[in-house]
Amino acid sequence: MSTSVDVSGSEVTTDRRLRRVVTNQQFVLFVVLIALILFFASRNSLFFRVGEFSNLFTDFSGLVLIALAETYVIVAGGIDLAVGSTAAVSGVVAAGWIQPLVNHGVNQAVVLLVGTLACAFIGALAGGLSALLITAFDLVPFVATLVTYSVGAGLALVISHGAPVGYNPGAIYWSASGIGMITWLVAIVLVLAVVLGVVLHLTVYGRYNFAIGSNEFAARAAGIAVRRHLISVYVLAGVLAGLTGMFFYIRSGSGAATTGVTNSANLVAIAAVVIGGASLTGGVGRWAGTMLGAAVLTVVSDGLIFINVPPTWIQVVVGALIAVAALLQSFRRRSRRVT
Amino acid sequence: MTIADERTPVLELRNITLHYGSVEALHDVSIKSYAGEVIGLVGDNGAGKSSLIKVISGVNTADSGEVIVDGVRRHWRSPHDSMAAGIETLYQDSGLAPDLSIGSNIFLGREKRRSGLLGRLGFVDQRGMEREALEQLARVGITIPATQRTVSELSGGQRQAVAIGRAIAWAKHVIILDEPTNHLGARQSAEVLKVIKSAREQGLSVLFISHSLPHVLEVTDRIIVLRLGRVVRDAPTSEFTVESLLGTITGLNESPS
Repeated sequence: MSTSVDVSGSEVTTDRRLRRVVTNQQFVLFVVLIALILFFASRNSLFFRVGEFSNLFTDFSGLVLIALAETYVIVAGGIDLAVGSTAAVSGVVAAGWIQPLVNHGVNQAVVLLVGTLACAFIGALAGGLSALLITAFDLVPFVATLVTYSVGAGLALVISHGAPVGYNPGAIYWSASGIGMITWLVAIVLVLAVVLGVVLHLTVYGRYNFAIGSNEFAARAAGIAVRRHLISVYVLAGVLAGLTGMFFYIRSGSGAATTGVTNSANLVAIAAVVIGGASLTGGVGRWAGTMLGAAVLTVVSDGLIFINVPPTWIQVVVGALIAVAALLQSFRRRSRRVT
Repeated sequence: MTIADERTPVLELRNITLHYGSVEALHDVSIKSYAGEVIGLVGDNGAGKSSLIKVISGVNTADSGEVIVDGVRRHWRSPHDSMAAGIETLYQDSGLAPDLSIGSNIFLGREKRRSGLLGRLGFVDQRGMEREALEQLARVGITIPATQRTVSELSGGQRQAVAIGRAIAWAKHVIILDEPTNHLGARQSAEVLKVIKSAREQGLSVLFISHSLPHVLEVTDRIIVLRLGRVVRDAPTSEFTVESLLGTITGLNESPS
């Protein structure tokens, strides 16, 4: 063929390849994570104890599901402010529903399974409300999920009267069982996290998620059912938030309206995604980035407490981390631009 | 292209009329297009170019008239139907998903799946898509060493070439290009025109909509001029100059020689 259009662009030189690796958000985060662990260990040798690592894994698990939920939503071009209060309202409602089972001495496995399904169901309802407001009433995701956040936080308080709902010591007991530093609870969360990563990066569903966030019009023109996909993403985020509510129920043996609300879990989850290199304009984000972002946030929060830094300072450090991550991203975007 | 009249047109519109409320957008429009032919569709703003495209691609349904593809009378309920019948439309600035790789964009909405159980679970065959994307683009004369690159790393002309490459790759009969050289520089436009010529070599029928009359004169075999929803002239490109074409579009000279 005589006609030929060259779309190759300039050559990828070794220098450029090196710069790409060094400015790769996941690579940088991995180095930062190792450095942080070494730093905290050097300040207090007890940091390397199995017990402390077990705590780290548990705290990481409490964050990672809503951080991954946020990753799906942000990659699709949206944002979900409701995940924190969805965890609260799911935990509170489910705790009330399963308490009669606990009181009647029903097998703990059955109790927790029913609780998990209940939390997932309530989370799906919350996500469904956000999806309805966005797709049927054309609210922007920020406003729609703010509505869901408020409704969820309010309902959790109304239902619980501000006090823990139910009491299930068997759940607390089970939450500590496992192998070495990995409890069963943590193991289940990690398996789910891996599944979410596989779906995001290797399946058609995940591909549509990126396509819609990158260019909604192009996705629609390519025959992708954009509306249906967006509904499913917000419902998925709600379900993951609900499961996080169940996670905290199991750890404390009761449901509390403060779960995920007083610690602004929604904002911490968004922070993990941003630190992980995702773009809030959609279309860009990686599972590994969010995992590392959540890990860095967990190590920083726990580590600072461990070396006796007042907890009030933690948020300041988190803020600095977000700033550094955002700067790194804008630098990378500029160095990547090819003409 | 007069001998073309002996063959069956791949796309034929017969007596198409379309109203938006009380406004008549198209009046009794009949056109034919043949395999391996590039048709320029020109006209002033509001002449009915976009309406005509929408009828062909299934976005709008004509009030009366027939759409015939490859000798078979068709009725579109949605753009899906026209795509399934082998008609690809590249809308103005509809573009690509910039954060996805070139390969992923070529296969957007038509993802290749892995074989067996993984495929049924929705796993995409990324390597297969990158490889086939490379082949399909090469077929229309677009060479890309790395389809893993994201579209955001390409220039405007390169992006448009990839977008047209995608349309050609999937079109069986007709591709409709709505202002594909809009917002492009001279060199980038030249790249796009090359791709259009190779679409003709592939035996596709190309409908090229453009305001750039030099581009239309350079790449088309035949030009159809629309004015106020009617076909006012349908003639081989060799019969036109920029001046006579402009005159026909504006209606200042009804019979250019």
